[in-house]
Amino acid sequence: MKKILCLVLAVVMLSCLVACGSENGGEKTIGVMLSTNVMSLDCNLATDGDSFEVIADCIDGLTQMDSEGAAIPALAESWDISEDGMTWTFHIRDAKWSNGDPVTANDFVFAWKTAVQTNEEYGYMFDSSVGCVKNADAILYDGADADTLGVSAPDDKTLVVELEAPVSFFDSLMYFPTFYPLNEKFYTGLEAGTYGTSGDTFLSCGAFILDDYTPGAANFSLVKNPDYWDAANIKLDGINYQVVGSSDNALTAFKGNSLDLVTVSGAQVAAVKDDKDLSSKLKVTGAGYMWYLSFSQTEKNAQGGMLANANLRLAITNAIDRESLVENYVMDGSLATYTAVPPQFAASATSGDDFSGDQTKFADVCSYNVEKAQEYFEAAKKELGKDSFEFTMIYGNNEGDEVTKVAQAIKEQVEANLPGVVLNLQAMSKAERLDKMQNDNYDVALTRWGPDYADPMTYLGMWITDNANNYGFWSNADYDQLIKDCTTGKFVTDYDARWAALYEAETLVMNDAVIAPLYTKSNANLIVDGLTGVDFHPVALNRVYKNADLTK
Amino acid sequence: MKKYVFKRILTAVITLLIITFLLFTLVRIMPGNPFPSERMTDEAIAAKREEMGLNDNIFVQFWNYMKNVMKGDFGKGTSLYNGAPIKTVLGKSLANSFKIGGIAILLGTFVGLVLGVVAALNRDKFMDVFCSVVSILGVCVPAYVFLIFLQYNFAYKTTLLPYFFDSRRFFESTIIPSVSMSLFTMSTIARFTRNEMVEIMDSDYVLLAESKGMYGSKLITRHVLRNALIPVVTVLAPLVVDLLTGALVVEKIYGIQGIGKLMVDAISGEGIDYNYVLALGILYSALYIGIMLIVDLVYGLLDPRIRISSKGGDK
Repeated sequence: MKKILCLVLAVVMLSCLVACGSENGGEKTIGVMLSTNVMSLDCNLATDGDSFEVIADCIDGLTQMDSEGAAIPALAESWDISEDGMTWTFHIRDAKWSNGDPVTANDFVFAWKTAVQTNEEYGYMFDSSVGCVKNADAILYDGADADTLGVSAPDDKTLVVELEAPVSFFDSLMYFPTFYPLNEKFYTGLEAGTYGTSGDTFLSCGAFILDDYTPGAANFSLVKNPDYWDAANIKLDGINYQVVGSSDNALTAFKGNSLDLVTVSGAQVAAVKDDKDLSSKLKVTGAGYMWYLSFSQTEKNAQGGMLANANLRLAITNAIDRESLVENYVMDGSLATYTAVPPQFAASATSGDDFSGDQTKFADVCSYNVEKAQEYFEAAKKELGKDSFEFTMIYGNNEGDEVTKVAQAIKEQVEANLPGVVLNLQAMSKAERLDKMQNDNYDVALTRWGPDYADPMTYLGMWITDNANNYGFWSNADYDQLIKDCTTGKFVTDYDARWAALYEAETLVMNDAVIAPLYTKSNANLIVDGLTGVDFHPVALNRVYKNADLTK
Repeated sequence: MKKYVFKRILTAVITLLIITFLLFTLVRIMPGNPFPSERMTDEAIAAKREEMGLNDNIFVQFWNYMKNVMKGDFGKGTSLYNGAPIKTVLGKSLANSFKIGGIAILLGTFVGLVLGVVAALNRDKFMDVFCSVVSILGVCVPAYVFLIFLQYNFAYKTTLLPYFFDSRRFFESTIIPSVSMSLFTMSTIARFTRNEMVEIMDSDYVLLAESKGMYGSKLITRHVLRNALIPVVTVLAPLVVDLLTGALVVEKIYGIQGIGKLMVDAISGEGIDYNYVLALGILYSALYIGIMLIVDLVYGLLDPRIRISSKGGDK
């Protein structure tokens, strides 16, 4: 027994000695939490924010985001826009891929053609609802040849993009990873499907290089790219990413100095605020996406299409106390939202005003007003000839701690404020929730949408007839026309008129309570002392480290 | 014996086939798309389904799938790490889970056996009570609670060990998860070994051996432990599979890229990744069936009575 004890002790002591090894990376290497695994490093296949962040660490677009989110030159040194706004000519700067190849205009041509050819989830960014790249619709939806895409490289340094209609925010689309370049020779030289699955099968031309990585890695690291065109301005030596599933764990890791930048949950924010040391490190930033209720308006759902009645929807939206939701259940600084386009991400290019900065503009039809809710409810009852309604609300139980609480709170509020309405809750995985919504097999759904680009259209484009995301099947000819005028029609050349038309479109959505906006999500970040200059954005790339520095 | 082995292997293969087919069908009935599809048009989704052959007859699909699996190709993920061949991702996760699970098994079995033997030899004395308390604790405290305890004390209060699993510091990184995962195995083995040994030490043949003048370590290893090990092997088998297939919560908390976490990711992401769920399902079943097969064969080695009685091939 004694021998065994000695042996065990010896092993323990030995392991402790080994443990006192050195940390990885250079002096200015930061440990950053990711809340989910990186799903793909292929800019055509990636679909989630964490993947986009890592891709953008390693690859530059034609433009990049400044700390305010405006587009500034990156791989494109400069660009010219033709008089009619239909042709953009980008001048590519001298930059290198990490294998030494120069970055050329053809890298963009190849990447874009691949993107429209494969038509993955973000392929739609090229089509006439967003980027309006010439012939994108025909390739994406009608099987035309990808070579007909309106993008060409007259020489290595010049990229010419032809559009079907002027797109005022085209420069800010260019920092979205779907529009990033791919080195054709390298990409096609790899076995299909292996691009971006390890450090060796991935090329960088951005601020950082992927060091060691396998898909699904719970931790991996990036190191500074010494050949980056702007290397002189990159101060960090590297980033160690760590996937952390639980925010309790993230908080402890942060307190123990294992991580320098973490996101904590709303439930922890109160505790963090009480802690003198931690509260100074708390920074709440806009996460962009808006949670809202989607109402199915088809006859097969909601007791024979009861939710097709606008008064009933208005009654529900006015019976919800959004301030209480964010204060008591979400608790991470998220903003109660009363507009169909959430605040914080889309500012006017001419006035600089946030499109949804004024949250009271639809107070008539969307606010917490029980009296008004009951008025709408009485009207609905009369129109429908019914006194009681029973609906089921679906929500994802793997979409964050607060979602279940929010769903329960909405049930309580709606049932208490509208006697006669029963709102049953049904929890399921996110995949199942999406499936039910896509197959129009639900009454009410608690769902969310994140902005893909800095224009209100990223939200308003969803409610046109036949849009795949129009899960409620609302349809309004005036609305469809307005949106068309703003994407390819008469307003595309007149910025302010388009902006006004978008307001008009939003008004139609709100007056009809097509959706019930709830809150715009924030992230509660903890940032270690000395780490400065991490740029947080609610749209496209949530965190950018190009200006970051660590001084200890 | 040969016939017995052959029969056992055949049953194992058929069982695995049936399970695979059931899994294959069930996954396809499950609600949820196999790929992330929030931003896709209905036509694009339909095209993807067609491309994956999801509109074919289920038997045709199964046949095509099995043809690839026979070649060792599990296809590629549909929503998880899309594009990457499953083999690479699965290989990496398996390696991690196997290594950590393997250490946990070795540690748990070894310490468990020692504790059990010590307790049995010191029946009703202090050591016996001590070992009982330890094993009850080990069975009651879930591995992840113990993990958090270790993580808090050895990686947060004192920073002897890494707070998260770090593949570049593999050895130190395995200590916390392996030790916590071995706890249950250790306790189970200790309890079984003790009880079996106590029972056997009271039996007539041990008394006879003692009366013939045999005692000490020879008696224990030859007659007591050998007989006591049979039920221990039985309980060990499923424990081994459990540990090898990764402890989901432990992997999640300690940030290990293992197969337990992979399974959950495959189900609970933006889409349900058919190919990952299937590959992992087949792997789990194959492991279980394989280990059970080995257990049956090991019985024969441990206990000559089983070997002899099954000579006729009819057991």
